[in-house]
Formats: sequence, C-alpha cells, structure tokens
Amino acid sequence: MKGLSVRLEKKKKYRWQGVLALICVFFVFAVAIYTFFYLRHDPTLTNLNGRLQGVSLQHPLGTDQLGRDVLTRLLLGGQQTIGYSLMALSVALLIGIPFGLIAGFKRGLIDRIFMRIADGFLAFPDTIVAIVLSGILGPGIGNLVLAIVMVKWVSYARLVRSTVLSESQKDYVLIALTNGLSMSKIMKRHLFPHIVGHVLVLASLDLGKIILLISAFSYIGLGTQPPNPEWGAMLNDSRPYFQSRPELMIYPGLAIVAVVLLTNMLGDYLRDRFDVKKEVQQ
Amino acid sequence: MILSIEEISISSREKKIVDNVSLSIRNGEWYALVGQSGSGKSLLSQAIGQMLSPNLQVEGKILFKDKDLMSLSSKQMRTIRGRKLSYIFQDYQGSFTPFRTIGQHFEEYQRAHGILDRETRKTNSISALDSVGLDEDLYNRYPFQLSGGQLQRVSIALALLLSPDLLIADEITTALDSVSGHRILELLAKRQKETGCAILFITHDWRHVKRYATRLAVMKEGQIVESGGKHRILDHPQHEYTKQLIQAAPKLGRGLASGLQEAGTI
Repeated sequence: MKGLSVRLEKKKKYRWQGVLALICVFFVFAVAIYTFFYLRHDPTLTNLNGRLQGVSLQHPLGTDQLGRDVLTRLLLGGQQTIGYSLMALSVALLIGIPFGLIAGFKRGLIDRIFMRIADGFLAFPDTIVAIVLSGILGPGIGNLVLAIVMVKWVSYARLVRSTVLSESQKDYVLIALTNGLSMSKIMKRHLFPHIVGHVLVLASLDLGKIILLISAFSYIGLGTQPPNPEWGAMLNDSRPYFQSRPELMIYPGLAIVAVVLLTNMLGDYLRDRFDVKKEVQQ
Repeated sequence: MILSIEEISISSREKKIVDNVSLSIRNGEWYALVGQSGSGKSLLSQAIGQMLSPNLQVEGKILFKDKDLMSLSSKQMRTIRGRKLSYIFQDYQGSFTPFRTIGQHFEEYQRAHGILDRETRKTNSISALDSVGLDEDLYNRYPFQLSGGQLQRVSIALALLLSPDLLIADEITTALDSVSGHRILELLAKRQKETGCAILFITHDWRHVKRYATRLAVMKEGQIVESGGKHRILDHPQHEYTKQLIQAAPKLGRGLASGLQEAGTI
C-alpha cells in the first residue's frame, strides 16, 4: 500500500483538522476499550439512596435517576454505540465490497442479477427496515445492527461496482494487460487502491450516520435494552429529569455530537488525502 | 514474417465487426493500417494480443513467429504480451495509472517479466527514458504532472523497454498537436531503426503513411479493401475507397509545411 498516497507537505490548511480528528477518534476508541477492562462502578448497579447526585470525587459526573454512576455509563455507552456501529459497518463492508467486485468484473448476466438484488434492498429506507425488523424479531441491538447492515451494504456494493466498471474501461488497465500483468495483479495494484480510497471515505462518513441511527433507535426504545447503557437510551432515561438535572441529557448528547463530528472530519480528511492529484498540484 | 493474420473475423452478438481479414507483417517493417473511425482497426489490433472483452467472438488464425496465438493458454499469452508484443494507445492520459509514479510503472512492468534485480531495473528504466530524450527526474513524477508529448514518449520507452518484436501503435498521435505528433513519430522511427522491431501503425492520417510506412492496408467497414507497397497504393490506387481517401487527404508540397493551404489561396 506504499503507493496509495503522497506526503502531505503542501496541505497544511486541512492537515491539523485531519490529525486532530484522527487523534480524537483513536482516543475515543482507546477510552471505550479501556472501559472494557476497568470499571470503577458497576454500570447497572442501582442505588436508590444516591439518586441524582451532583458532581463528587466518587462520581465525577454525578449519578442518574437510579443512582448509577453517569461517567461509567457514558464511557460504557460509548463503547456500545461505537462498537455496534463499527460492527454494522464492517459487516456491511464485508458483504458489499465482494458483491460489488464480482458484479463489476463479471458484468453481463451476473452483474444484472446482483444489481437487481441490491436494488431490492435499496428500496427500503433504513428506518422502516429497523422498525419492521424489531416488530418481527423483537427490539434489541442485534436486530438493529442487522437492519443497518441490510440497508448499508448496498451503497458499498454499488460504489465498488461503479468504480470497477469505470476504471476497468480506462486504457491503463489495458496497458497493464499488454504489459503482461495477470488480472489478479491488475485488480490488486491498479484497481483496488481506487476502491479503497472511495470506500474509506464513504465508510467514515457513514460511521457518523450509523452512530446517530443506533442512538436514535435506542432513544425510542428499539435499540439497546435497559439496563444496558447506550447514549441514545441514556438521553431517553433522563428526559423526565430535564428540568432539575439537565446535564444528564447534555452529557450523552454532547458525546454523540462530538463523535459524529469527529467521524465526519475524519471522512473529509480521508477524502482530501486520497485525492493524489489535487494534493500534488497545490 | 513476424505476424500473419489469417482470415480473422470478430463478431459481437449482433453483428460481424471485422470480416475475414488477412494481413502479414514482415520483420522490421513499418506497416500502416489505414481506415476511418469504426472500421475495426483497433479491434483487430487488440485481437492480436487477445485483449478483447469476452463478449466478442474471434475466429481465424493469428500466427506470431509461427505460433498460433489463439491456441496459447492465458499464461503463455502473458509472457508474450509486453515482452514480444507491445502496445501504445491514443489516450496518453489514460495510459498510466494515476496514483503510481512513472518509475513504479517501469518497475512493475519489469518485475512482471522476471527481472528481479532492483539495480538492473532502475538502470534499464533510466536508460529507456534517456533513449526517448527524457530526463531521469521524471522517474519519480506522477503521470498528470507530465505533458501529453512527454507521456507519449514514456509510453514509447515503456513499450520498447524489453525490445519486443512487434509494436502496435494505435493512433498514437491523434490526441497530440501536430508538432508534438511529428516529434513522437520521428522518435519512433529512430527507435525502430535502433531496435529493429516491426511496427503495426494504425492511423487515419495519410501524411504519416506517406512519410513512414513501408507497406499498408486500407480498411473499410471491417474488411481490407486494398493492401500492398506504399508507392503502389499511393500512386496507383485500385479501389474506389482508397482513391477517395487519398483525394480527401491534405496535400503536401503546396501550401504550408503542415500540409494545410495558406488562408486565401484557394
């Protein structure tokens, strides 16, 4: 992958953004993973004597309406939200990329069949699929992830297919062929980098959307089930206490905003970074 | 005979695009294939390297150095492509993978043909660039940083790198301005003299045919209507279509050196 992109010496303008986004995203991931191994408080342990406490040394962000530590739940919720989003995204990628590759390379009948299947999935909006699935299979994070995968993989399949189709028409593929390269090498070295760039950009932008989706569905009770912590569910839980303890809603809300913003910044950065041409010319 | 094509037909599902074409190219000659767009010249040339998309049916025989290319496996074909038979295309911008440097193209090409020593590869590439009059600075540049003429020079360097026996040049000057096109052809002629490879030169420009070709064939609607030595055809065209083509071509000798009449003289 050495030839994927060039050094970013002349792009100082956006560079700090991308680096910042990268660092923050990794930080969030690190915290989420860290929480997995180390928890100061049981996130589901209720303590009705200590409900709705304010900031203290023991509870840095206070406690919620059932006396559970907010910071612990926030971190663990992040782990859940981001973890499930990443899971949904990677399953969508795993299905979508090979699907698009095969359709793009084989063309003809296989392409037509594959794309009609994809169109069929595309006909349903993600919200509808999620609601219907939880209606049939019952609400739960697993079904939500399934619904997201069912809808999201199509865009990757289509993206990969169209990239393969348009790029393999170009003369450089023909030249590589005339130079005696095998088809698999051409795929790997001349076409795949194109695909990786496009897919990474779309994926990082999609990550934000998926996080929002999972939080939104947990908010209306179709995602993570109580007592498991999740940002959207935490928002919903603390709704009745908005007037007395607004920060209970502000914490998970801010967390969602920050993570979605970061993934979008990361997407923009990746888009610029993979645009070799623009970069060198500037 | 380096290449003889015997009764080749190329057909898609709907119709026959190239119909029963035969031609033969001698060692070290400049063979021009002339015809208007859509006459099947490019398809024919791509059929030689077996690079047509699988939905096109090819029938007939293609003898390259007395071996029938149609009967070779795809693996054997790969060793011929690039090493014995190479191509240059019209679209110089699209001929290079945009995110790889010129040097990486040279590297990969040589590695695919079993030149494993890094130093050898590098010196080969630099001397190939040098032979087409390009600086070795270009080695680390990206394709879009080069001009059209430079890119087409790199194409020539790349195509002649492993000294092929036959070079297929598919309208290589069409996308260039006439001065750069002229330089490219001069360079190609010079390199041909040095390496002794045969060239199948696909074009629709009679000026190039007059200047460089040894023999030529005229193609119309998938068939060869006339073929033979350059002087025979240019001076005594037999077929009506050839006569029309020659008449339609801009005349040399009168007017400007480019072949165009000076404004106001007609």
